[in-house]
Amino acid sequence: MLLNGVRKAAIANRREGGEIEMEPGMAVSLRESLPQVSDPRNLDASVEEVFQLMLGVQCRRDGAPAARDTESVTAVVGFGGLLSGACVFSSNQATALEIAALMTGMEFHEIDDTVKDGIGEICNMLAGAWKGKVPELAANCGLSVPAVITGRDYRLHVQAPEFQLHHLYRFKESSFDVTIVCDGLQ
Amino acid sequence: MSEIRALIVDDSSVMRKIVERTLRQAGLDPLVVCEAGSGTEGLELLKTRQVDLILSDINMPSMDGLEFLRQIHAQNLAPGVPVVMITTESSEEHVKQAIQAGARGYIRKPFTAEQVKERVLPLVHPA
Repeated sequence: MLLNGVRKAAIANRREGGEIEMEPGMAVSLRESLPQVSDPRNLDASVEEVFQLMLGVQCRRDGAPAARDTESVTAVVGFGGLLSGACVFSSNQATALEIAALMTGMEFHEIDDTVKDGIGEICNMLAGAWKGKVPELAANCGLSVPAVITGRDYRLHVQAPEFQLHHLYRFKESSFDVTIVCDGLQ
Repeated sequence: MSEIRALIVDDSSVMRKIVERTLRQAGLDPLVVCEAGSGTEGLELLKTRQVDLILSDINMPSMDGLEFLRQIHAQNLAPGVPVVMITTESSEEHVKQAIQAGARGYIRKPFTAEQVKERVLPLVHPA
């Protein structure tokens, strides 16, 4: 799975959506904030916050790998600006259907456009909540609109990332995983 | 209480439904909602419909929420109607840009009905 498309979209969004103007000579770097940016607790807090507020469920970190015996649903939101990379949400079909049901109050039996839309929004909120945990990141990093992929047997590959967080979570009987991958940090 | 006519602009149909549901939970009832999937669509709707409140996402394809907001003012559509941005972008700079573009409120996703009540209700039912 290539992340270049969503990353370019995030950079473009950041330019069109109003690049933050800085005083001449003022340089912002996220390198000094790397320990905060890559703190795994920020991802856990973001997941808990989004699932509690938008779905009304408590999520907990889980060590067991999410079952992938059926079709998977993956949403990707790109980061652009001082940090480039992506937030990737992935779950099996049953979990995606349950999340969409909790978001909308409707029942779903297949991965239709509404389910994909809901999963894309969850990923969007996770990406926004995660970057909002570090003020320098919130102010200097834009988000792309979500892309959603469905299918089987696909893997996420990033060459030489600056850092990567990959956590598994569980709510009720459902599980999913969230990956934050950073392949560029200024 | 008189009917509130709200325009909700978001490229996600699920998010539009969540915003509508949250507005009702926050006490905006009776409520009549019209929806737009982009800033461009929102501007077209405002040319033919009168609304009392506009809620818009920022990060949208084709025309983002800030440009939508600027165009509302540039084209003098919906004069005096409060616009509240509902978005994942939460930095001080984004809030500043939205306020400069004419937004009257700013709500970060994910949000609660309480937050919506606190920030939206005073705009449509001034004390």
